Amino acid sequence: MSAAQDPVAVPARRISVRPARGRFTTALKLLLTSPPTLFATLVVIGVVVLALFDELIAPTGYNEVDVQQRLLPPGAGHWFGTDDLGRDVLSRVVLGAAVSLQVGAVAVGFSLLVGVTVGLLAGYYGRWLDTVLMRLMDVLFAFPAILLAIAVIAILGPGTTNAMIAIGITYTPVFARVTRAAVLGVKESVFVRASRSVGVSDARMLLRHVLPNAAPPIIVQTSVSLAFAVLAEAALSFVGLGTQPPAPSWGRMLSEGRSYLEDAWWMAVFPGLAIVLLVLAFNLLGDGLRDVLDPQQRSALEAARAKPRRRRRAGVGA
Amino acid sequence: MTGLVLRRTLQSVVVLLGVSVVVFALVHLVDGDPVRLALGTRFDQETYEALRERAGLDQPLVVQYLQWISSAVTGDLGVSFRSGEPVTALILERLPATLSLAGASILVALLIAVPLGTASALRPRSVVDAAGTVLSQIGISVPEFWMGIMLILLFAGTLGWFPAGGYVPLSDDPLQWARALVLPAVTTGLVSGSVLTRFTRSSVLEALGAEHVRTARAKGLGPRAVLNWHVLRNALLPLVTVTGVQLAYLLSGVVVVEIVFAWPGLGQLALQAVQARDYPVLQGAVLLFAFVFLLVNLVVDLLYSKLDPRISA
Amino acid sequence: MRRRTVLSSLAATPIVVAGCSTGEGVDTGGTGQAGGEGGGEFVAAISAQPDQFDPHKTTAYASFQVLENVYDTLVVPGAEDQVMQPSLATDWTTSEDGLTWTFTLRDGVTFHDGSTFDADDVVFSYNRIIDQQLSNAYRFATVTDVRAQDPRTVVITVSEPTPALLAQIGAFKGMAILPSGVDEASLTTQAVGTGPFRLENTSASEVSLSRFDDHWGGPASLPGMTFRFLTEPAAAMTALTSGQVQWTDNVPTQDVSDLAEDEQVELGQVASVDYWYLAMNHAKAPFDDRDVRRAIATAVDRSAVTEAARFDAARPNQTAIPEDSYWYYDYAPFTTDLDEAKRLLEGAGVTTPITMGLMVTSEYPETVTAAQVLASQLEPLGVQVEIQTEDFATWLDRQGRGDFDAFMLGWLGNIDPFDYYDGQHRTGGSNNFHGYSSPVTDDLLNRAAVATDREQRKDLYDQAAQQIVDDVSYLYLYNPDVVQAWTPGLTGYTIRPDKAVNFEEVELPS
Repeated sequence: MSAAQDPVAVPARRISVRPARGRFTTALKLLLTSPPTLFATLVVIGVVVLALFDELIAPTGYNEVDVQQRLLPPGAGHWFGTDDLGRDVLSRVVLGAAVSLQVGAVAVGFSLLVGVTVGLLAGYYGRWLDTVLMRLMDVLFAFPAILLAIAVIAILGPGTTNAMIAIGITYTPVFARVTRAAVLGVKESVFVRASRSVGVSDARMLLRHVLPNAAPPIIVQTSVSLAFAVLAEAALSFVGLGTQPPAPSWGRMLSEGRSYLEDAWWMAVFPGLAIVLLVLAFNLLGDGLRDVLDPQQRSALEAARAKPRRRRRAGVGA
Repeated sequence: MTGLVLRRTLQSVVVLLGVSVVVFALVHLVDGDPVRLALGTRFDQETYEALRERAGLDQPLVVQYLQWISSAVTGDLGVSFRSGEPVTALILERLPATLSLAGASILVALLIAVPLGTASALRPRSVVDAAGTVLSQIGISVPEFWMGIMLILLFAGTLGWFPAGGYVPLSDDPLQWARALVLPAVTTGLVSGSVLTRFTRSSVLEALGAEHVRTARAKGLGPRAVLNWHVLRNALLPLVTVTGVQLAYLLSGVVVVEIVFAWPGLGQLALQAVQARDYPVLQGAVLLFAFVFLLVNLVVDLLYSKLDPRISA
Repeated sequence: MRRRTVLSSLAATPIVVAGCSTGEGVDTGGTGQAGGEGGGEFVAAISAQPDQFDPHKTTAYASFQVLENVYDTLVVPGAEDQVMQPSLATDWTTSEDGLTWTFTLRDGVTFHDGSTFDADDVVFSYNRIIDQQLSNAYRFATVTDVRAQDPRTVVITVSEPTPALLAQIGAFKGMAILPSGVDEASLTTQAVGTGPFRLENTSASEVSLSRFDDHWGGPASLPGMTFRFLTEPAAAMTALTSGQVQWTDNVPTQDVSDLAEDEQVELGQVASVDYWYLAMNHAKAPFDDRDVRRAIATAVDRSAVTEAARFDAARPNQTAIPEDSYWYYDYAPFTTDLDEAKRLLEGAGVTTPITMGLMVTSEYPETVTAAQVLASQLEPLGVQVEIQTEDFATWLDRQGRGDFDAFMLGWLGNIDPFDYYDGQHRTGGSNNFHGYSSPVTDDLLNRAAVATDREQRKDLYDQAAQQIVDDVSYLYLYNPDVVQAWTPGLTGYTIRPDKAVNFEEVELPS
C-alpha cells in the first residue's frame, strides 16, 4: 500500500460526453489489439479460473503440515518446494489466488461503492454538500494510507474481512475525487442540461446519464486500485495483520518466506511472482482501459498510433 | 491570488482539525491501552488503576481531546507514554533520518524518471520506450519490502558494498551516512521513479502534441531546442504535482521499507506508537503527516495555478 | 516489530537462606587492563529499540539488555546456575522466623554521578517501586518495611517467610539501585547507575555506552560499546559476518545448525529459563471440562510443534521448568494418540466438530507458527482451530477480560519455581487469566511459597506441577534455547539462561 503509487495523482480531466454504448465496443476492440492489454486480460482470466477451480488444481490442502518435509527445494513431489511447516508451496499459491482476488474485489468494491456515491453527490449537488463530503474525504486522504489501514484493523481486529474494509476505506477518497471530477465535467454538458430541463429526476439523471458518462475514469481507477489492493494486502500481512494463518494469502506467504530467503528462496519467490504478475496485469489493464476509454489521457497508444493523424486538441490538457 | 491562498489555507486548517478528531477517536477506539501494555503479562489491578490515573486516562475522552488539542496548538504535543519523552523531541529525533531518506529517494526517482520518461516520449514505440514502459510497470507492481530484501541480499550480503540496514547521522560521518542511505533510497526511489517515469513520459508527450510546440517545430526549431524550452516547461507542471505528492508520501514515513532497513524514521515511530497504544506519539505523528501532506498539496496547487493561468480553482 | 518482553522473574536460591555468603564473590577478571582493549569498536546488534531507560518503569527486554551493563542490584543470578550471588550486597542473613532479612552492603561503590552508594539508596529505590506502585511492585508483595540500619546495613521485613525474596530483588535490573534523590524525570533518557558502563548517547538507531572508570569491580575491558537496533535477523547476521557488529542475539533459528559449523561466527546456545504454553479458558465450555482439555493435550504432538516453531533451538517439555534446573520435575504423562484423544472427547459428551479460537500475537511470531501446526494436529480430532493474530496490546486486553477460548504465549526469565507456577495457577492468582482453580493445587502452592527448606520446597512444587499438568491448567509445549552469535575470538562473554547480556569483561580479538 503506498501512496507512492498514488492513483489520484493524475489530475482528473474533463471528459467528452458521447453516447456510451458505441464507445465501449470500439474500446473492447482497441483493447484486445494491444499486446500488453491482451496479456493482462489473459493473466486476469487465468487467475480467476485458478481461483474458481483451486481445489481441483491444487495438489494438497492449504494447511497440510508435515514438519519432516519442511523447506524442500522445488522438485518432482513439490514443484514449488515446501515451506517452513512442510506445506506444498504450489498448492498454497494456487489456493491463494482466491484470497487475493477476494481481497482485491471486496476492498475495491467497497471504495467503489462508497467513493462513487460520495463523488456523485458532491459533484452533482455541489455547494455545502460538496464542501462537507469532500473535506471529509480530504481528512481520510491526509492520513498516510498504511497507518490508516493499520489503525482500522487495530480497532476491528485482524482478519481478511477487516483487512478488506481497511483497504477499502483507505481508497475511498480516491474514487470520490475521480468521480466528482468526472461528474463536474459531465454536469454542464449540453446533453445533461437538456435532460434536466425536460424534468428528468435527479436519481434517474445521476444513474442513467451522469454515471455512465463519468464511468471511463472510474473504470480505469478500478483496475488500478485492484493492483493497489493486492499490494496493500501484502503490506498489511508484512506487518502481521491482514489474512489470518493458516489461510494461504500470497502476501502472508511472502512475509513468512522473508525469514527464509537464504535457506528457501522458493518460499518467497513464487508467491512474490504471483503478486507481481497479478498486480502487473491490473496495472496494464488499467493503462489499456485508460487509453481507449479516456481519450484525453490517451497517451502511449494514441501518440504512437495516431502519429500521422494526430487528433489531439491543443489547450485542453494540463 | 490572495483570495485563493486564503481560501485554500483555511480549507487545509479545517481538514487538519478533522484529522485531529479522527486520529484521536481512532486510537481511543482501539482495544488495549498503554498502561495495560506497560504492565506486560504480569498483572496487578491496583497498579493498573494507579498508573491509569497518573496518565490521565481516567478522564472523559472529550476532556482528554480538548486538553491535547489545546496544547497541540501551542506546539506542545504531550509526552510519550512509552518513553516518557516529549513527543516533539521524539519526532525531531527521527526527522533527520526521514528527511535524508525522502530527499535521497526523490533524487533517485527523478534521476530515473526525467531522462527515461523524456527519452521514451521523444521516441514512442522505440526500444527505449518499450524498456521504459516495461520497467516502470514492473516497478510499480513489485511490493516495496520485497524489493528491499532483494537489494539487501545482493548488495549487502553477496557483494557487501553497502550496510544491510541502520542509519548514520550526517553529522557523525558523511560517508557512512551516504552509504547507509543508498539501499533504502534506491528501494523507495525505484518505486517512486516508476510512477514518475510514467508521468514524465505522458506529460512530455502531451506537451509535444501541444499546438505551440508544433508551431515551434514548424518554424524550424530542432527537436532539441523544442524539447528544452517549450516542452519541458509544460511537462514540468504535472511532474511538479506528482513529485510533490510523492514527497509528502515519503515524508510521512515509508513504514515497510523503514522496517526492512531498520531505518529510524517517522513511519516506524508511528507504527510502534500504534502497537504500543502510545496515544500522544501516534496523534502527534499523524497530525504532523497530515500537516506536511496538506502543506505540500497547498504549495503544489498554488504553484500550479501560478504556472498555468488557465487553472483558477 | 518490537519485541516487548516482560522479564518476570523472581528467584529463590535457598542455598543462601541463612547468611551463607560467598563473600566478595564477584570477580570481575580482566581488571586493571583499562586501555588494553583489542582492535576496533564493539557493536552489539539487538532486535528492538529500548522503549525507555528508567529501570523501574520499563518492561522491554531491549531496555534491559542495555541496563544490564549500566545498573546493579543487591544480588545477581550466577551466570550458569542462576543461584543468587553477591553484588551490591556482600552478605545477608535471615532471622530464625524468616521474617527479617539483613543485608550488608558493599563498601567503596560509586554512582556514575560521583556520589557514594549507601543504605539510603537501597531504601529510596525500593520505596520508589512500592510507593509509586511501579510495575515491579508485586515483587514486594510480602515486604512490609525497608529500613537503613546504618549506612552499610539494610533490613527488610516481610509478613511471612519469603524464600523467593533474593530472586525477587536480584533477578534482573528492573530492581536496580538508584542514588537517592535522583531527578526521576530524567531517568527515562539518562542513567545514574553503579554498573561498569555509563549510558552515553541514545538515538532512534543505537545506544552508546562508555566505560565507567570508577566501577567497584574495576573498569570494564572495553572503553565503550554500542547497541544497534537491527530488526531483521538476516540483516543482523549480514552485519555480523561483514564485521559491522560483533555480537547479536537476533539469530534466525533455522540457521542454528549451519551456524554451529560456520567459522565466520561463533555460536552460543544454552537452554533458557523460558517456557511456552497453550492455555484454554476454564470458564468457557467445553474447555471447562478437564477431559476435553486432556483430549487436546493428548492429540498434540509437542515435538512437531517445537520443531516447527524453533527448529533445533528448543526442547519439548510437558512441565514448565527446563531440564537443566534444580527444580526440574521429570513428568510426561501424555503420549500423542489421536484415538485416545477421540475417546476422551467422546467420553466428555462433546459432539464434534467444535471450534477453538486460538489467540496468538505477532509480537512473538513463534506463536503464530506454532498455532498453525496445532491447528493441523487438532483438525482430525474434530477441533477446528481458528487462529486470531492480535497485536500485543489487544492480546493483553483480551486476555485480561477473559475474552478467549485459548491462547498461546510464553513466560520468560523465570528463576524460582514460585515464578513458574504460583501466580499462574493459584485460584485468583494475578496471572491466572484462564481461570484455573483447584483446592489441591492451591494448598500445595501456598505451602511451597513459605517453605524454607529447599528439598521440601522442591517436593511441594513437584506435586503441584503434577496436578497442574494432569488438569491441563496449562498445556506446556517447550523450553526454547538462548541463541546468540558473536565474532570469533571474542573473549570474556558468557551466554546465560536468563538472557541477561553482560559485556563487562568482553575483549575483542586483537
